[in-house]
Amino acid sequence: MGATKKEFKYFTILDHEKEEEYLREMHKHGWKLVRVTGLGSYHFDECEPEDVVYQLDYNQKGLSNKSEYIKMFEDCGWEHMFEFFGYSYFRKAAKDMKADEEIFNDNQSKKDMLYRVFLGRIIPLLAIFFLGLIPGYIRILNDGQDQSLIIAYSILIGVYVLIFIAFMIKYMKLKRLAKVN
Amino acid sequence: MNSHIKKVYVPMTETGFYILLCLKEPNHGYGIVQRVENMTEGEIRLSPGTMYGSLSKMEKDGLITFVREEDKRKIYQITALGTQVLDLELKRIERLYKNAKEGR
Repeated sequence: MGATKKEFKYFTILDHEKEEEYLREMHKHGWKLVRVTGLGSYHFDECEPEDVVYQLDYNQKGLSNKSEYIKMFEDCGWEHMFEFFGYSYFRKAAKDMKADEEIFNDNQSKKDMLYRVFLGRIIPLLAIFFLGLIPGYIRILNDGQDQSLIIAYSILIGVYVLIFIAFMIKYMKLKRLAKVN
Repeated sequence: MNSHIKKVYVPMTETGFYILLCLKEPNHGYGIVQRVENMTEGEIRLSPGTMYGSLSKMEKDGLITFVREEDKRKIYQITALGTQVLDLELKRIERLYKNAKEGR
């Protein structure tokens, strides 16, 4: 058996391109992804170094019609690996491609994927934010007792707002690009 | 044709156009990928994520309809509404082409 290794990496909802790039680099250096666990533990097996393109899709409809969904990717030469938090992981060796290939060939469909992420992941966050965090924050501000709790809440709210803003910027950018297409 | 369909599909993406064009005859997603590759001499290679998303969306909007399943591949065909949208898009492209020619 070859060596294995585990790396902890945290990618936010918006960073799937960075994650894809990271996995491609690892494979180039002779480490192929086996699975992802927990909050972002990447498990690798040692392998021959190779240029392999990794891609993530987020498609709940696809997952509820899984055999047909995966068949489409396999027909196009993409290996389906596993699902993690609703994301499907695919990979394809660069040598099997005629030109640079991605699982999305235009900005419109990249935008559509981001919209599916919005429905599946951002809306639940918005619900937590407005129904849980904000009322809680107001309550502890009124109490005014626990300074460290106020700071913790402030940081949490800041992180949420940053994620929402970053998501909006990315979505608007893709929307503009999709129009140009 | 309602305004939602017009807003979303006119003008449409190259992917959307080729899907509707190919589905004048029943076909599955990968069949469309191969046909488009042949039609454009390999210039346009549709990707599975884009194809899956577009087929789902067009089926939901009633532009194409599910015919049957063969070996885990869903076969679709264009509907009357899909044909209307395709004709509208064709007219737009013809006008673009005509004006570009005359404008030279």
